[in-house]
Amino acid sequence: MGKFKIGALAIVGVALLTGCTVKAVGDPNRPITINAHITIDIKGLEKTASNIEDMVSSGQTK
Amino acid sequence: MKKFVGCVVMMLALTSFAFSQGYDIKTLTPDVKSALDARKARFSDLKMLKAKGVVGENNRGYVEALGGAADVKSLVSAENVDRKALYAAIVVQNELGDAALSTVEGVFAGVQRDKAVAGEKVQDLAGNWITK
Repeated sequence: MGKFKIGALAIVGVALLTGCTVKAVGDPNRPITINAHITIDIKGLEKTASNIEDMVSSGQTK
Repeated sequence: MKKFVGCVVMMLALTSFAFSQGYDIKTLTPDVKSALDARKARFSDLKMLKAKGVVGENNRGYVEALGGAADVKSLVSAENVDRKALYAAIVVQNELGDAALSTVEGVFAGVQRDKAVAGEKVQDLAGNWITK
């Protein structure tokens, strides 16, 4: 049981040291489908759009 | 355990930092620069056509010819090509995903509606052309 604990701690330690990365290894011939949801900050996008349009209208270079 | 909690806290901090960065054209690629320069160059012509009511801002983030001759359509077409390049650059450079293009277009359409001055034609969300 002691050896098991040490082994588990070693695995967790290695995972932490590698930056908490979880790697999944799959069949390279089989495509992996990932359903990702991206939330867009509309207010941030509006600000960006406004800045770009202001730049275009004023003729300034970024 | 403390290290794990620290790692999680750091990841959350980095995530919130990343989200607080906002969206921008992060890299001025030759295509993006060309599109911006071309838009700046045609801005006054487009403004004049908008004032005449010959060109309007549609609800998809692009300009639309509402009359005029072939040269107006040509100008509108060139403007829309450059706009699309900029919208696509924002999507790609901010890693928003292909599906976000329509969102970006819609946001730009809203901004153009807000910035339109009295007398210019804009298309509302329902698709009706109105004169501001």
